[in-house]
Amino acid sequence: MESRRGRSSVVKELLEFVEEGAEAVVFTGYMLGNKVIVKQRIRKPYRDQRFDEIFRYTRTKTEAKILAELFLKGLNVPAPLIVDIDKYLIVMEYIEGRKLVDIINETSENKIAKIATELGVQVGKMHSQNIYHGDLTLGNIILSVDGHVYLIDFGLAGYSRDIEEYAIDLHLLRRSLMAIVPEKFEVFFGNFLLGYRNGYPQKYQEVINRLEEIKLRGRYVEERLKKIRGERYSE
Amino acid sequence: MYVLGIESTSHTFGVGIVEYDGKDRVRILSNVSDQYKPLSGGIHPREAAIHHTRIAPLILKKALKEASLSLREIDVYAIALGPGLGPCLRVGASIARFLASYYKKPLIPVNHAVAHIEIGKFINKFKDPVVLYVSGGNTLVAVQRKSRYRVLGETLDIPLGNMFDTFTREIGLAPPYVVDGKHKIDICAEWGSEFISLPYTVKGSDLSFSGLLTAALNLARKHIGNKEMIGNICLSVREIAFNMLVEVTERALVLTRKHEVLLVGGVASNRCLRTKLETMAKHHKSTYGGTPIEYAGDNGAMIAYTGLLAYIHGIAVKPEDAFIRQRWRVDEVDLPWLKNY
Repeated sequence: MESRRGRSSVVKELLEFVEEGAEAVVFTGYMLGNKVIVKQRIRKPYRDQRFDEIFRYTRTKTEAKILAELFLKGLNVPAPLIVDIDKYLIVMEYIEGRKLVDIINETSENKIAKIATELGVQVGKMHSQNIYHGDLTLGNIILSVDGHVYLIDFGLAGYSRDIEEYAIDLHLLRRSLMAIVPEKFEVFFGNFLLGYRNGYPQKYQEVINRLEEIKLRGRYVEERLKKIRGERYSE
Repeated sequence: MYVLGIESTSHTFGVGIVEYDGKDRVRILSNVSDQYKPLSGGIHPREAAIHHTRIAPLILKKALKEASLSLREIDVYAIALGPGLGPCLRVGASIARFLASYYKKPLIPVNHAVAHIEIGKFINKFKDPVVLYVSGGNTLVAVQRKSRYRVLGETLDIPLGNMFDTFTREIGLAPPYVVDGKHKIDICAEWGSEFISLPYTVKGSDLSFSGLLTAALNLARKHIGNKEMIGNICLSVREIAFNMLVEVTERALVLTRKHEVLLVGGVASNRCLRTKLETMAKHHKSTYGGTPIEYAGDNGAMIAYTGLLAYIHGIAVKPEDAFIRQRWRVDEVDLPWLKNY
């Protein structure tokens, strides 16, 4: 939280360290009596300083912009309150709840189905605004105490009309499910798609088709060759 | 018990032998290999296969001699059936099928990528790491979960080792790609001192190196003969590619809440990547583990060791069914020893 010009003066109360993520340190504090999250992108010791500053700058800027837009459009994201781009810092609304990655293994199938459907609707709505998340994993989704799904961490997000970006969001979610709760993948992803279809009916089928294509792009994918060579393929 | 493993998926023909005391002690007795080195261009699969055929008896004898064993004393044969280059894979597979059927011993199919990861875990005594596997044919981040390695991120086009090879070859620095254990990209990077902006492509947790390669080549072609500028480009290509890898690994580490970071594959011997990854791991209070050069590149010991794990868990294949698999993804292999993760 220390930086050249000290702490952000608007956040009066003492800050409490929450966690260090892959990109930023996160604190909680109070602003005008409300609990807030203070997120600051810190220097990566393994990255050359010049590159590092560009990264922190652009990602903080992107996150602030997209958070503001999605919040105004009524999506479930924390409201951005203060942005200090020189300090790579965003102050945002605190969402009382837990990250999906931390609770999903103990969550019942019924509840997962409900969460996944709502998540699908949210992601669908986001995509219908031509915005993609860029890092849609179980670590970037919060289940609030009142049972709603919130999206966070928009540093890799962006604006695009290319369905490729939307399909990549779904691909990332699928991957993170396979790595964390493979046994609950079917129920989660199936319900997610139901919600997604409701949130983004216009391009649903196109995104799903592209998602299948993306799956075949990795290294040593046998299906890809079968597809290219068709019937003649045999080994 | 003695397990002999054969590796021949790409440019390396290798034979390794491991010893198992039946309880918990595993010892690597020998690890001998020879690499096909093209005089020009990249790996020609047929030429590499011819090299393997010629060198195979010699390597096999050497590995047995180092372990002070004869073929009759080998209890289990392990073979890397894929993924890799067809002609090369067939050389190793033919030898392994012959040995197993002639001596009437079990034949164990091993996935080459799984073997790279398992030998890294064995050497570092790691239980449950986030794995970064970087070589000439692979670039991926994986974790173990419910009997499989699960890929969290991978290259969408060319692997990193391949990109470094292509870049140095196209600007006239290679082959040979490696001199005294150092890749040409590292040698060339020493000539430079300044960073140049080049494309950095991370899509979620997947990576793409083709844009970086093209941009770097276009720039380098304008500066052929200018040693300092070429050095700057090499330095930047390496810096950007490694930053991409570390960023994706870092995200996987934070997401999965693990505490070990393991670097495996041919590029694991690169000091610059090692340092970056170690710094990142330390920052997240995690243990970093690398792979020493003789086990980082393709080798027979990793096939023998993984074959042993598979054998203990009841995996075997009849020689007549031991087909090679040029395409065999790491996340398609069921591994009983990962059942409880």
